[in-house]
Amino acid sequence: MTGGVQDKSLESPVLDADGHFHAVDQSIDLSGYGWEDWFTLVVFWLLAGDVFYQFFTRYVLQDSAAWTEEIARYLLIVITFVGSSMAVRRNTHVHVEFLYRYLPAPVGRFLSTFVDLIRVAFFGYASWLSIDLVPRMNNLKMTVVDFPMSYVYGFVAFGFVMMTFRAMQVAIRHWRQGYSVLERPEEALA
Amino acid sequence: MNSVLLGGFLAVMLSGVPIAIAMCIASLLYIWISGTIPPLTVVHRMVGGIDSFPLLAVPFFILAGNLMNSSGITNRIFNFALALVGWLKGGLGHVNVVASVIFSGMSGTAVADAGGLGTIEIKAMQDHGYPTGFSVGVTAASSTLGPIVPPSLPLVIYGVQANTSIGKLFAGGIIPGVVMALFMMGMVSYYAHTRGYGRDLAFSWPRMSRAFFELGVVAITATVLFFLWKDESLSGWWRFGAPLVAVMIADRVFKFEAFMALLTPVILIGGMASGLFTPTEAAVAAVAWALFLGFAWYHTLNWRMLVKVSMETIETTAIVLFIVASASIFAWVLTTTQVTDQIAHIVLSISDNPLVFLLLANLFLLFIGCFMETIAAITILVPVLVPIALKLGIDPVHFGLVMVLNLMIGLLTPPLGMVLFIMQKIAKISFEETVKAVLPWLWPLLGTLALITYVPQLVLWLPGILYPK
Repeated sequence: MTGGVQDKSLESPVLDADGHFHAVDQSIDLSGYGWEDWFTLVVFWLLAGDVFYQFFTRYVLQDSAAWTEEIARYLLIVITFVGSSMAVRRNTHVHVEFLYRYLPAPVGRFLSTFVDLIRVAFFGYASWLSIDLVPRMNNLKMTVVDFPMSYVYGFVAFGFVMMTFRAMQVAIRHWRQGYSVLERPEEALA
Repeated sequence: MNSVLLGGFLAVMLSGVPIAIAMCIASLLYIWISGTIPPLTVVHRMVGGIDSFPLLAVPFFILAGNLMNSSGITNRIFNFALALVGWLKGGLGHVNVVASVIFSGMSGTAVADAGGLGTIEIKAMQDHGYPTGFSVGVTAASSTLGPIVPPSLPLVIYGVQANTSIGKLFAGGIIPGVVMALFMMGMVSYYAHTRGYGRDLAFSWPRMSRAFFELGVVAITATVLFFLWKDESLSGWWRFGAPLVAVMIADRVFKFEAFMALLTPVILIGGMASGLFTPTEAAVAAVAWALFLGFAWYHTLNWRMLVKVSMETIETTAIVLFIVASASIFAWVLTTTQVTDQIAHIVLSISDNPLVFLLLANLFLLFIGCFMETIAAITILVPVLVPIALKLGIDPVHFGLVMVLNLMIGLLTPPLGMVLFIMQKIAKISFEETVKAVLPWLWPLLGTLALITYVPQLVLWLPGILYPK
């Protein structure tokens, strides 16, 4: 869940005689993100901007803008569902793998394939449910802002579709390489 | 029916399906079998479960912690703690605890603490010849301070689910955090004494007095800010502008090691305690301060790092809130099927004495904590346990701290101890060795748990002062 930027090269002693410490930054690799992650990044900083703006209007202009709170809540929903696709792609959704240490390899292989299929099936079904929900939300308006709630649910549906797609990619990769992160947790991403 | 729900959830989760999805699948099974509820409810409830303003604090607390980790502020905190207590016997063990207390004042998760600061701490302790087991034990234990000392992600989730003031919960965590830290430092001293660990840094008056001087300036700044922020009649300049200029001048004049970084917990906790900020605003203020330090003051951040840190924040936020969303449909099903009522009925039939209930709740939570992820456990168990606690006259703030501390202990216990996995990765030792190393360090945590369970005033005294009714 964390790591990456903080990963220092830890070959040399980190603590000198004065008690100060030295660590060298690794170069930053920004490749390897999915295109939907860049979309979420934009939404994330829109949310930050929105909440900063609310802050600013409340303390500096002494008059807080009413729409900021509602928009912020919806942006957080979008970030959760679309951002979740990143966690599906990287297999970082919290899961339990300890059973696999006690299972014989063929059983583990069978069970982990089953898990990959369940993930795809669930996300697929949830995509279908949320796409079905979008038109039903057309008549429901947001409280302060004059937009229909179907906008929010549209992004939820988009998130589930992306999760389904990424789960399929992961399942195919696991199938081709002959093991999944459940069987070899040491190969999981930091 | 109920066994389908709980059994299905356990079976799916143990097979390795992500916990969030396991909760959704169990709920769907129930909905299909019952046939009276449209399956659309699942998506609708999931969205409803995270549609809340206080939850906005989640991404910003995560972002603040990540920014601190990547802008070199963690290193400054470590250096500062070293000057403060590095000369004690078993020095780096004490430094480890003190640095974690400070870092906990900026970050809300044990995982960020273990993964960020923990990497530095274990490496430094190994360089100085400490046995890996000791280093891993103290680092793992001190990382659980993260969610006890405010800010705290689990307490935000608890506050949202239990409809309890997050500000009060945060204030309630301060004293238990200090108690935990003291117990752990006592344990370090005990090991240092029995195993003959030396100092890691020669004792030097100038260095130590400088560190204490820095700490004193932080304390003065905190006090002045508290009164300035409490006084709403003052203009914006006196409440924000003038203090900012003053701390910038002070930092330049005295060339402090970590003064500006130490102001982060001051801004966060002071801002909430003086009633200036809601928890969400405090989180945003911490992010603004971290960006100011990283880009303008220490010049350690750049745009590429910001993108990377934002991506990590999005990932963690999505993981946490996806669990909250899924747990809210699962909790709803548990309530609809009256599983929660049945549990309440069983518990109350054993005893309606609050002290006995707290004991049972502790044992139950310790057990659950071994198998369940923290955020999911809170979201599912709050609707089950908090109504019973309220019925027995237990303060929800008190119960929240007891619950979170129990689940933090669960992070250190097999088979599903998140912190154990991180430690194992950092120290490159086997899972069994990690478990053995961490086991004795459960004592300070269990001691604190017993103390705060049966002396509620340790939790409730500070919120009572800061938020008088």
